[in-house]
Amino acid sequence: MVTRTRPEAQIAATILMSRDDQTINMVIAALGGEGGGVLTNWLIAVAEQSGWWCQSTSLAGVAQRTGATIYYLEFMPREGDQRPPVMSLFPAQGDIDIAVASEIAEAGRMISRGFISPDKSTLITSDHRVFGITEKSATGDGTVDRDLILEMGGRYAKAFIHFDMSEIVQRHGTVISAALLGAIAGSGALPFAPDCFRDLISEGAAARANLAAFDESFQRAESGGVGAYEPAAQAPFVLPAATTPVGERWLPRLADLPHPLQEMAYHSVNRLIDYQDEAYAEQWLACLASLIDRDQDRTDYALSYEAGRHLALWMAYEDIPRVAQLKVRPTREDQIRSEVKADAAQPMTVAEFFHPRVEEIAALLPRRLGSALLRSNTARRALGRVLGPRTLRTDRISMQLVFRGLSGLRRFRRSTLGYAHEHQMIERWFEGVLTADEHAQAMAIAALGGMVKGYGDTRYRTTSRLVVILDYLDTAPDVNAEKIAELHSAAMTPDAPFGSVEGVVAAAPAV
Amino acid sequence: MAERSFREEVKKLRAGDGDVFKGEGILAITKALLQSGVSYVGGYQGSPISHLMDVLNDAQDILGELGVHFEANGSEATAAAMLSASINYPLRGAVTWKSTVGTNVASDALSNLASSGVTGGAMVIVGEDYGEGSSIMQERSYAFAMKAQMWLLDPRPNLPSIVDMVEKGFELSEASSTPIFYMMRIRGCHVTGEFVARDNVAPAHHNQAPVTPNREPEKIILPPFVYEQEREKIGERLPAAIHFVEEHALNEVFPGRYDSVGIITCGGSYNTVIRALQRQGLADVYGDTDIPIYCLNVAYPLIPNELVRFCAGKEQVLVLEEGQPEYIEQGIQTVLRRQDVQTRVYGKDIMPMAGEYTGQVMLEGITRFLGAASRTAIPMKLPLEAVLATETPVSDEDIARLMTELPPRPAGLCTGCPERPLFSAIKQLQEEMGPFHISSDIGCHSFATAAPFNLGNTIMGYGLSLASSSGMRHALPHKAISIMGDGGFWHNGLTSGVTSAVFNEHDGLLIVIDNGYSAATGGQDIPSLVEPNLIATTLDTDQPKRDSWQTIEDACRGAGVKWIRTVSTYNIAAMKETLRTALTSDAPGLKVVVAEGECMLNRQRRVKPMIRQAVAEGRRVKRARFYIDPETCTGDHGCIRLSGCPSLTIRDNPDPLRSDPVSYVDNSCVGCGVCGTNAHSAVLCPSFSRIDLIDNPSPWDRLMNSARVRVREWLRARDQKHRLQRQF
Repeated sequence: MVTRTRPEAQIAATILMSRDDQTINMVIAALGGEGGGVLTNWLIAVAEQSGWWCQSTSLAGVAQRTGATIYYLEFMPREGDQRPPVMSLFPAQGDIDIAVASEIAEAGRMISRGFISPDKSTLITSDHRVFGITEKSATGDGTVDRDLILEMGGRYAKAFIHFDMSEIVQRHGTVISAALLGAIAGSGALPFAPDCFRDLISEGAAARANLAAFDESFQRAESGGVGAYEPAAQAPFVLPAATTPVGERWLPRLADLPHPLQEMAYHSVNRLIDYQDEAYAEQWLACLASLIDRDQDRTDYALSYEAGRHLALWMAYEDIPRVAQLKVRPTREDQIRSEVKADAAQPMTVAEFFHPRVEEIAALLPRRLGSALLRSNTARRALGRVLGPRTLRTDRISMQLVFRGLSGLRRFRRSTLGYAHEHQMIERWFEGVLTADEHAQAMAIAALGGMVKGYGDTRYRTTSRLVVILDYLDTAPDVNAEKIAELHSAAMTPDAPFGSVEGVVAAAPAV
Repeated sequence: MAERSFREEVKKLRAGDGDVFKGEGILAITKALLQSGVSYVGGYQGSPISHLMDVLNDAQDILGELGVHFEANGSEATAAAMLSASINYPLRGAVTWKSTVGTNVASDALSNLASSGVTGGAMVIVGEDYGEGSSIMQERSYAFAMKAQMWLLDPRPNLPSIVDMVEKGFELSEASSTPIFYMMRIRGCHVTGEFVARDNVAPAHHNQAPVTPNREPEKIILPPFVYEQEREKIGERLPAAIHFVEEHALNEVFPGRYDSVGIITCGGSYNTVIRALQRQGLADVYGDTDIPIYCLNVAYPLIPNELVRFCAGKEQVLVLEEGQPEYIEQGIQTVLRRQDVQTRVYGKDIMPMAGEYTGQVMLEGITRFLGAASRTAIPMKLPLEAVLATETPVSDEDIARLMTELPPRPAGLCTGCPERPLFSAIKQLQEEMGPFHISSDIGCHSFATAAPFNLGNTIMGYGLSLASSSGMRHALPHKAISIMGDGGFWHNGLTSGVTSAVFNEHDGLLIVIDNGYSAATGGQDIPSLVEPNLIATTLDTDQPKRDSWQTIEDACRGAGVKWIRTVSTYNIAAMKETLRTALTSDAPGLKVVVAEGECMLNRQRRVKPMIRQAVAEGRRVKRARFYIDPETCTGDHGCIRLSGCPSLTIRDNPDPLRSDPVSYVDNSCVGCGVCGTNAHSAVLCPSFSRIDLIDNPSPWDRLMNSARVRVREWLRARDQKHRLQRQF
């Protein structure tokens, strides 16, 4: 056993002198593959060159495989031949000077873990979102409330620096660690000279891109980006001026609508004329009128808005002609090229994945013929053989023409089995909205329209579940809005049992 | 080829006397091994010591020059058995693995080694995978050290201490003829720092200077010797160890002015103790403390004289050891009571039994302890209430909101992972055939037990899935299904699983995922190689060079398996069919499906430079990625529920009438093709397209492209005119 003795004088001295010396503590939360390790090594190098001690450690875990990962660093100035300091390997609540996150939800996680202390912590984060699997796999919108986290960051951090670093690095073609380093340097939270950071990042691979991202991020962090978060205000919608006879016919009528509905109506009418024709848009506008009657005594026209929106979407249901129409959209090629970063000169092929089934074909046929096809097993089997998975090259001229042909079929749409089937369901649903006793009920039923989505089996699941609920409502008209919402959310869980309404109610989460 | 290359870092291993060595704990340990004159090293990868294996692998030149023999062992048992070289000869050797799982695998060889005793220093560097960031069930290696009488070192987590303790450890091992556990915690493995290096020492014996074969029957673990070995452990080796530890001062005492109390801590927790005391104003950042500290760099055995000397005259001491049971605390109580030292020992009565001693836990515990110190009231900066308050400044209401708002981030399969399509296929098959009970295994494929696949019921250990299915195969509504990685197959699965299953006429299905590497531990090489697989849309390359190739299929045939199919995982339809056949076939005996597809992380590492080079050299290169039409996507996300690929994500719906986000493929897509295959095999939707981009197009490409573009332009112009009339 060795006893590390020190003369009493020295004890006294150290107590007087250096008892209050403290390390600067920094925790970094990143996601796998984002270069948190690279960032850490940069920070170590900066500290070394500035003549500081730096100790880092990490919990890599299975970071490479999409998990969250934590890095922890402590900094301490070197003083002559002073002994090396004893630094901790754990980030500790109430002991963090700088917290860095590569994504806003991870910043939220650090707040929830208590690493952000109002009296000392600087919180630096990119405020873009990287969605978690639970958010992505929801049947509807399962994303979390980003603004909530930003608002809390503003409240709990001593200094709060946040901006979209992902956008910056994508523009400069590099990784987020470069922007994070820029933000850290720009925040001035570490006592190291900005040039020290810059020199470091000017070396090695992708130096130019890194430096560009670093500098931009540095500016943003230096010029604030600090403090509480105010959500950006939305510019109010204004109807455009007419440029075509169609516009002259419609815009005045839209202008007569209650203001809260004008934007929705503008898009809906546009969509339905593009989908079918003006008469089809008239059809929709008539329905909207009856909704507006119901909404008379309300200023927000919430029911008209929700029901009208879902009605327009449903009326423009995606059948083969519609899909074909969208696939040869004039604007589509430019969209793709900008998305995959390919200029017009670069050869690009586009292979679409289709799996038409007998049902989709039948929906295209005249009512009688279509239902006959669905009834006859021989016909089904025969057709089934020629259908099945197809990969079609829409960049080829031949396919362009085929798709144009298919999209042209929309002029026969009104006489097809699919049209009859969809509009039969639409009417049932819309009837339910109009005849509901209370506003709340009507709103809940209107919201059910949002269930209708998808193709093939998904489409079948969503619509048939909607019908199950409508049937139930016929038998029990006095059902309240909460129960309807309950059924709605149960129906939105694909794997939950949904045979009978009893099953639904059992499966529905309590509200 | 491992995930992380240490080719640059290992150059530091050549550092000589007086050079300042800077780097990670793992690298420092390797340097210390060389400074200690090891003759052989080995081990099995697994966090947190995967990098130690990678470093050794990348350092083979340097090892070779010194005459140090290195083996990437087949399993921890293989590594432990390797240490038998130190039984008869003065050969120093070290092996490493993830503990406690690796220690469990190695236990047979370890117990025998510990019984025989060693002549040359033998060291097991265990990565103690306990606490935050751990990937296994939570246990301590300490129990094994006690029951087998191996000494356990737990040095202070700074590089000088780490290096010094490796060197001293070998001397201790030789002085007491006992193999040693050298324990590194997760954060200690990755801690960075510096130390003053010494020259590497070449081992006395190697292929140029062989040993003279030497038989010592009394060291063989057979009666009657085993009884003598047991006596020797307690009668000679333990006292020798205690004497050495005391004489060479492996444990440290840091005096403090308040000598009526004291803290006894394991070396690994020392820094956290100092930080807690510093925050209470009772220590400074250089470690000078007001509270006396007895630091156990040797956690087992305890040194009675040191304990008595430290505790004598103290009213209270606090014992700090992570995890349970409180072996050290019990040991200390025994020592003190036997010597009739009446110091009150605090420990697990005020510290948590389970889990890590984090900064917050340590601060709370020490504050409680010092608060309870009777005679002299010790001034502290923060009263207990303040300490408890630092736990979180966030209001309960906000915490609740965060809890509901923050998305969990479970580890999942990487972008383009070849295992994804396999699990998509199984999930689709399950929808047809009813719910499955699946015996899962250790490896990346373990993540299939989580969202979005939710496949797998039990995990019994590395390579043990098939074995673990044997007990219930008679009670399942379907043929037993076991999934195993190639890593697990070679580690244990072939013997414990396949051989036993064939012998017992197991008629279930074993899926072996053959991705060519031990992927989950960082892409280390394994005996089998992956066939060049058909990711048609990424630039294909010749398979990695390896002269000797042991195939999984041959191994299974050799073990007597008759029904074997090999399928590319990316071919979901074929995979579905093969699995259906296996589950419905009347053929007797085990059905093995080798699901083949190269680990995408390793593949990208291999292929990306080649693509870059090819493009630079002006060769024609076809790159693919997937695209989702925001207009046709209705935001149901069925595609994501079938895949969970990181590059398949969501974004705001551009459609002003729709509110649910649309699915979206970001630019990290590697074009593995699974999205399209799923869209087909699961009849998803018409929103998926595969975009092929051609770099350095051939004249023919250019011609076709410009022709198509021109015609499309013309058609588009027509449409546009027509459309404009229909717009406002």
